[in-house]
Order: sequence, then structure tokens, then C-alpha cells
Amino acid sequence: MILHYKCPSCGSDMGFDSESGELSCQSCGRHETIENYPEDLLTSSFEADEANEYHCENCGAVLITTAETAATSCSYCGAGVVIADRLSGHLAPRKVIPFTINKEEATKAFQKWCRKGLLTPKGFMTADRIKSITGIYVPFWLFDLNSKVQVNAACTKVRTYTQGEYIYTETRYYDVFRDINLDYIKIPVDASEKMNDGLMDKLEPYPYDQLKDFKTPYLAGYIAEKYNYTDEELLPRAKDRISGYIESYISSTLTGYHSVNVKNKQIDTRNVNSFYVLLPVWMVSYDYNKSEHTFAMNGQTGKIVGKPPISTAKVAGWFSGIAAGTFFALKCVSYMMGGGFW
Amino acid sequence: MRGSFVQKRSLLFFLMTLMLLLPLGLSVKAETFDRNQYIYDYAKLLTDEEAAELQILASELGKERETAFTIITLNETDGKDIVQYVEDFYDDNAPGYDQPHGNTAILAINMQERDVYLAGFKKAEQYLDDGRMDQIRDKITPDLSEGHYFQAFSDYINTSYEYMGNEPNDSPNGSSDYGTGGSSEGYNSYDSGTNQENIFFQWWFQLIASFIVGGIVVAIMAYRSGGRVTVDARTYMDSDQSKVISMYDNYVRQTVTRQKKPSNNSSNGGGGGITGGGHSHSGSRGKF
Repeated sequence: MILHYKCPSCGSDMGFDSESGELSCQSCGRHETIENYPEDLLTSSFEADEANEYHCENCGAVLITTAETAATSCSYCGAGVVIADRLSGHLAPRKVIPFTINKEEATKAFQKWCRKGLLTPKGFMTADRIKSITGIYVPFWLFDLNSKVQVNAACTKVRTYTQGEYIYTETRYYDVFRDINLDYIKIPVDASEKMNDGLMDKLEPYPYDQLKDFKTPYLAGYIAEKYNYTDEELLPRAKDRISGYIESYISSTLTGYHSVNVKNKQIDTRNVNSFYVLLPVWMVSYDYNKSEHTFAMNGQTGKIVGKPPISTAKVAGWFSGIAAGTFFALKCVSYMMGGGFW
Repeated sequence: MRGSFVQKRSLLFFLMTLMLLLPLGLSVKAETFDRNQYIYDYAKLLTDEEAAELQILASELGKERETAFTIITLNETDGKDIVQYVEDFYDDNAPGYDQPHGNTAILAINMQERDVYLAGFKKAEQYLDDGRMDQIRDKITPDLSEGHYFQAFSDYINTSYEYMGNEPNDSPNGSSDYGTGGSSEGYNSYDSGTNQENIFFQWWFQLIASFIVGGIVVAIMAYRSGGRVTVDARTYMDSDQSKVISMYDNYVRQTVTRQKKPSNNSSNGGGGGITGGGHSHSGSRGKF
């Protein structure tokens, strides 16, 4: 089933407006509130693979989609359409963070970011070769994890003091135990096969206060994908993400000792709750020097990540500048210390 | 009037001559010791040429520093400790650059015990303090062990000569015109006239350090150009629920070890001291 939003006043296509957070008509300027939009995808059920071919509701052309595409624009008439089958039943997202940065703002922010690059080549900094900039709702699982940690450690406190002719070293041994409960909430793990995990991790954090109940009109005019991995498949990755946090928490509870020797450590992490959300990302594809560079921008906060090209000349310049500066500073220090300038 | 003036002048001249001759005469009376001989090679470790060469070196450099750089080699010390021997040598023979019991640096080695002892008297006590003596001893011990006695002895004279040119700076608020490389390094940095050799002052070290700093900074810049992870352990933690539920820190036992306090003025148990004749001196003792 294809969802398409027609303006009730003028019959033109409607799309999501990031500024107002409402569905808006570009022709007549009519706004529709999304929160009250009637739909019930969770309970409605569609057969999987019910249809392999979708037709645009607006013009009747065949929609060209990949198997993951859940929202796209008709390549013929440009109308934003939502493929409801791919967002219903177990594929229905619970929440969504809508875009607050629109395409123009994203382009401007990207150009501004390029100019700030200290090592990027001059030709890149003008940012005039943006090949495409696409707003994508990337599928994420948000995990609420609970960890029960039990740690047993042998710790020592060392004290040295002088008495008469001797230096005494006193080592006190302690048997230390910690029972810790740790709750981590809404850990995002990207569930799309296409998206680079490292890139997506760097886009965090997302403002969770902007999480809205999912309604299909939020997707109108953007591209959305359904998840490739279930929460069960991604749980190990979520656990992996918090393992470092857990370790640092444990060591923060074992302070005041000179040495800590962990003898026994049990970490039991359970998935309390996981839900499927769509998070906004601007993907910027940029041609530079015949190779394509991909950048991602957080559609809410505007944070940009991605490897820009690096200019050898600028690297050399910075390197020699810093090295020369350091050399001069060292010379000055050595001169002041009486070592002579040369 | 004139006659009495001449008389007075000749009396003054006589008194002056007497005063000048008095110590000379006394010292002549006191010993048959030749204060201008600096090499006492009783153990016959040096050839005659080598001994002569060292003698020339010691007298030339000693003149500049007004110090007798003396070397004594022994096969045995009549059962005396080497420190005792050196102290007695100074008391009995009264060496010195320009006067008995004067500025003297002594290097003594005993082949039987393979002891080496360095001592500084008067000006040499001040300039060649225990720390510097330790440095000299550390420097020459490898040569002594391998039997390169001539090399070791000339190193001793040359290094002592260098140190004697630089006043030691061990008063904490003493002003000095040469560097203090930080108290943690102790003698090695501030006390030696060789602090030009401090690695920090070498241009190649400074160059390498600059390259490393430049490389690290640029690498960080390049690494950060792709964006950083800006979430940490606290971002996703529910701080209301996350806490230590129960804990204990039980004291089990304790161990105490003790170690003798290292003495400050003698690193090898043989620093300076006072001779039987009441002359204080610096020193450094060791084996080779």
C-alpha cells in the first residue's frame, strides 16, 4: 500500500516541513498537524511481499525502490510517497525524530563546515561540488540495557614512613566487593546495512526529547528505510558499546587504593527494552578529485562527520610550522636554562 | 734621621724575608716530601713515559686550578683501609699546590682489595664534593677494571680540572649562571660543569622532539577532521538507577618492610670525613 499526501485545499503534493514540524503544501501553504493524523499501522497487517511493484498514487508510474526503501519520492512526478507495508506490523517504528534542518540549511551548514577544515585542500573548502544531499530516516534500535555487576578484588594501600635510620613500607591488603546495578537507556544502534557503523556512532547524540510517536507523514519528501537487522541481532553490538562504560564505572568505584587486582568479575547485561526508531540523517555526497566523499549530518543537531580529503601541502605546512615553533621554543628554554642558544 | 730610616727599612726587609722564609724553612724541615710530584705509582701500573706524561698534565692543569691532582697506586696498604691511608698520606706528607696541607685532590687505588678512593681537600673539597667525586669515579671505574690505568688517570685529572673550574651550586637559593635542570635529576644536571652535555641542550634532540610534536599534532588534526565521538559513559546512563547496591572493603592483613635510609653524602659508603690531623675532606669510594 502506498501512502501519498494530497493537499485537501488545492490537491497539490504535501511534504514534511522541518521548520514547523508539520505537513505543508508548497502550492497553497496549507499546514496540517501530524500529531493528530489518523493512522494505525501497528495493528494493520499487510502480507509480506504482498506486492513487488508499487505504483505512484499521484501519477501511476512504477516506483523504483530497493527492498529496504520505506519512503521515497516518485522519480517521475516528485511526489513524496510512503510504502506503508514496509512500515507496518513488526516493521512499524515506535518513534521518530523528525528533521529540523532542511535541505538548504544542511547545504549551508556543510559548506560552512568545509571552510573550517584545517587540513582540507583549498578546492574542497569552497564546497561547490556537492553531488547530492539526501535526507534519510535511518533505522535504529534503541536499547534499554540493565547490567548487574559483581566485582571482587584484592586491593592494597601502601604507606611509607621514616623512623630512625629506616624507611618503612607498610602494605595493607583489603578484600573488596562491589555489587553494582547499571541502567543504560536508549543506546542507539544503527540497523541499516548500508550505513557505516562508525560514521553513525559519531553522529550521536540525538536529542531524545524530540522523539515523536511515529506517523507516516513525517517521512513525506524524505527517504526512509526499514531495518535490516532485528534487535536480537544487534544486541551484542549494543552490549559491546556499553562494555567500556561499565568498566570505567567499576574502576570509579574502586578508588583510594594503590593497586587493584580484580579476582572475579561478573557482568550480566540484559535487554530490558528495545524499540525501533527512525532518526534523521543528511547524507552528503561530494565529488572531489574524481573520488566521491560521503558525509553524514545529524538532521537534528547539525553535527557533521565523515573523512574529508586531506591536503598534503597543508599537512606539510602545519607540520613544519609546529615543528619550527617547537624547536624555537625548546631553544629558548634551553637558553634560559643556561645551555646556550646553540 | 736618614740613617735611622735606612735602618728601619732594612729591618722591615729583614722581617719580611724572615716571614717569607719561615714557612719555607719549616716545611723543608718537616719532610723530604716533594710537593711537586703528583704521581706515586707504588704498584708500578704505569710505564715511566706514562708517569712522566701524567706528571706534566697534573702540574699544568694543577697550576691553573691551584690544586695538586695527586695519584697514588698501591699494592697493599699495610692493613689500613684505603680511606685511612689517604687521610694519613695527607696528614703526614702535607701535599698541596702552593703550601703544605693545601688544595689537593687524591686518587688512590689499592690493587689488592681493588679499592678506588677519591678525596678532595681544601678548595678541592669544596669544588670536588662527594657528588662530583662519585661522577668522576663512575667515569673512570670501567677503565680501571679493564686495566687502562693511564686512560683512567688522565680522565681523572681532566675531569677534576673541569669541575674545579665551576663552583658547585648546592645552596638552594644560590644564584648561578649555569643551568639547574630540575632537582629530580640531582647531581647529574646541576652540579656538573658538563651540563652542556645534557641531552636537552643537544640540537639534534631538540630537532627530533620538534618533529615528534609536529607529527603528533598533525596526526591528531587529521584524525579529528572526520568528526569525533561525542558521547561518553554518562550520556546514556540512567543515573537514578545506576548505583552500587552493596559493597564492603574488608581489611585482611598488612606487611611491613623496612629499608635503610640512604645516606645523603656518601653514595658508596665512603664519602668524605676528617683526617686524624683534623683536615676535613670530600670523597668517593668504590671497587673496580
